[in-house]
Amino acid sequence: MNRDVIIQQILNGISLGGVYALEAVGFGIVFNILKFSNFSHGGVVTICAYVGFFISTRFIPSLWVSLALTILFGGIIGVLVEKLVFRPIRVQNKPLTYFFVNSITVAMIVQQFFSALWGSNYYPFPIFIKESVFQLGKLVVSKSYLVMLSMSAAVLIALSLFLRRTKTGISIRAASSDIHTPALMGVNTDFIVSITFSIAGILAGVTGFFLGMTYTVTPFIGSMILKGIIASIIGGMGSLGGGVIAGVLLGAMESLLIAEVGASVTPIIIYFAIIVLLMVRPQGIAGKLYSVKA
Amino acid sequence: MELLKLESVSKSFGGVQAVHEVSLIQNKDEITAIIGPNGAGKTTVFNLISGIYQQDAGKIFFRGMDISELAPHRRCALGISRTFQNIRLFNNMTVLENVKVSYANHLTYNFFDEVFRTGKVKKEERELEERAFEYLKLLYLDVYASSYPGNLPYGIQRRLELARALLPEPNLLLLDEPAAGLNPSEIRELMEMILNLQHTKKLSIIIVEHHMELVMNICSRIHVLDFGKKIAEGTPKEVIENEKVLQAYLGDLGEVC
Amino acid sequence: MFYSKVLETTLIFSIFVLSVYPLSGLTGLFSLGQGAFIAIGAYTAAIGTLQYKLPPAISIMLAICIGIIGGVIVGVPTLKLRRDYFLLITFGFSEMVRALLLWMAQLTGGAMGIAGIPYAAGLPLIAISAIVIFFFIANINKSAFRRNCIAIRDDELATQAIGINVYWHKIKVFILSASISAYGGALYAFNMMFIEPNLFDWLESAKLIIIIFVGGMNSLLGVFLMSVIYYTFGEVFRFASVWRDLILGVLVIVVLIFRPQGLFGTIKTVFPTIRFPFLQKN
Repeated sequence: MNRDVIIQQILNGISLGGVYALEAVGFGIVFNILKFSNFSHGGVVTICAYVGFFISTRFIPSLWVSLALTILFGGIIGVLVEKLVFRPIRVQNKPLTYFFVNSITVAMIVQQFFSALWGSNYYPFPIFIKESVFQLGKLVVSKSYLVMLSMSAAVLIALSLFLRRTKTGISIRAASSDIHTPALMGVNTDFIVSITFSIAGILAGVTGFFLGMTYTVTPFIGSMILKGIIASIIGGMGSLGGGVIAGVLLGAMESLLIAEVGASVTPIIIYFAIIVLLMVRPQGIAGKLYSVKA
Repeated sequence: MELLKLESVSKSFGGVQAVHEVSLIQNKDEITAIIGPNGAGKTTVFNLISGIYQQDAGKIFFRGMDISELAPHRRCALGISRTFQNIRLFNNMTVLENVKVSYANHLTYNFFDEVFRTGKVKKEERELEERAFEYLKLLYLDVYASSYPGNLPYGIQRRLELARALLPEPNLLLLDEPAAGLNPSEIRELMEMILNLQHTKKLSIIIVEHHMELVMNICSRIHVLDFGKKIAEGTPKEVIENEKVLQAYLGDLGEVC
Repeated sequence: MFYSKVLETTLIFSIFVLSVYPLSGLTGLFSLGQGAFIAIGAYTAAIGTLQYKLPPAISIMLAICIGIIGGVIVGVPTLKLRRDYFLLITFGFSEMVRALLLWMAQLTGGAMGIAGIPYAAGLPLIAISAIVIFFFIANINKSAFRRNCIAIRDDELATQAIGINVYWHKIKVFILSASISAYGGALYAFNMMFIEPNLFDWLESAKLIIIIFVGGMNSLLGVFLMSVIYYTFGEVFRFASVWRDLILGVLVIVVLIFRPQGLFGTIKTVFPTIRFPFLQKN
């Protein structure tokens, strides 16, 4: 592969990696405060993909407006999921495994629901951008990729500012070390949990919209967050920054590999590499190794 | 006769020196205690002895053997048993089953025996059932045999942990804050129980405790830790009068003084 | 004829559930990779008979062996890790196997799968297998194996400290699971006569875990019953199979909130409540 192709692939990959980064953060933010692997995130992503599709095809064909609406919707769905599915078992102080089982169940319900209603069709998003690519020197840059990348970056930066500068954001970070800390700070724990799920929902909105835009909307679109989960793992459970870096890297790597060895071998290599990585360095790039107090 | 020996054992956790060059000797048939202010490293010493933590430096000998590198389950097989500071019972099994778990090392049937439920399995399980029941009776827990630990009062749970630790007939019993959360009359019962057990089962017991009444009354020797280091050792009387101990504890000895 | 088929399918899937029960139910080791072992078993059996002309019986044996080997290869390194990582790694493993099956198209038929597998696993074989496997698991469910599993699930540290070699036990359970899954997979291949890589992805593995949860993690009988009900319902109402999963999903969430010991709770309470499980409130 010559240098131009490499750069081209990396460029494409980074954009996709941005979406993976969003997925990783959406997954990780819930893990941080409640310490379980939230597989329901994929379900929320799927819902948002369909919502985004319907809004942009039936109502408002504008990219930005329908994206904004989808994000809004995602935030609401996130909170709904929390209140219906996770709040009841949280107040009962159920063990973590229950959360995990519930989250997988939500993913399953969502997939089945959309399969039942609209499963047999493929729903492509409308073409938002007329001139889909432009030239940058020798590189071909896809406009939609650019949109995705800039949007992802914007969302992540906004999130980062939120987590660092606002009281709620700081409470969320405090809750990551210990879920009881915000209560000590005088902040309502339930509120923090709801906000966190809402943020995850917002991220899911962006993710779902972009995944729907890039691929077509199917009930299985939520399964694509697998890559995001993986990015979260590689980045280190507990580190959102790590997740972002890992997501981008994963996107770039994937693009390069696909160009080099083809799309069928690539997943094998990637999954194998992850397994090895997890065994050699389970805390990922930036995570911390926890041990139980005896 | 020397049963357990710690030689200059050290352990740190990411920069915090929890235990620093602690040495101690425990003999057969004696009851001793490790005391010290909170954070002194007492439970860490227990965890090092049972093998949950690996020491950074130093050696541990048990019954003459160097067990420094041995995994926890092997140390149990050699005869070390323990209870925990925070009660760690198995909530999804009955009281009787909880007790049976610790006997795993002494069962001789293997997986294939279990799959076919051979006569060997049936026999050993029957014997284990009787044995477990006896230990429950010994600690006045037999009436709770079919209950689940989660529903039981705190004091009962503590006794259950003790029963579980005793079942495999250890040589050395480590009790981590056995009196925590007990009222004075329960503590007195506990003291009697420990003395009784030590005598009838020929146990050697080390207790980590904060309740001085318990420690002073039943222990023949006491080790005092502070900030991970051993600052004193001796009989209860000697320890009470020790300058360094008083300093470390200032105020904690309460009415025993 | 139709009912025979329903029974066959129900029993095969119940074997899958049984295989996962010791691992995820008793020991609480959630693995999203059991589907991969089922697939490995199925493909080994199919390839063995179709490409290498082995008699089905030998193919099935081979499937079990590969399952055991796979269990060792995957289990030994990963069972040392924390529970969450184990979950995620098995998930990665499941995806990797799926990718492998798609890629090795020469051998596996790729996305088209393998069709035309001879019908070598009929109701008698399946029924006997289910009964025997149930019997074996019921046996180990009565002695130290069960206690060790639950102990590890409830408090791994304490279990380690009171003398059980937790790692070794986990490996035993994992290999047991993997081998039975592989066997079930082989039966599936010889019964359904068609297999493809997406049949047993992580979501299917997840469903097995969910069934165990709803049936009651501590109750073998409860789990088996739940499995039979679920799959029978699915087969009889085939046209509504998608709704079946939806109902299962909602049921799980409801059960977890209101009746966490599972629909059928402990074995002791199976019979009194078996008539109106849904009306029983905690």
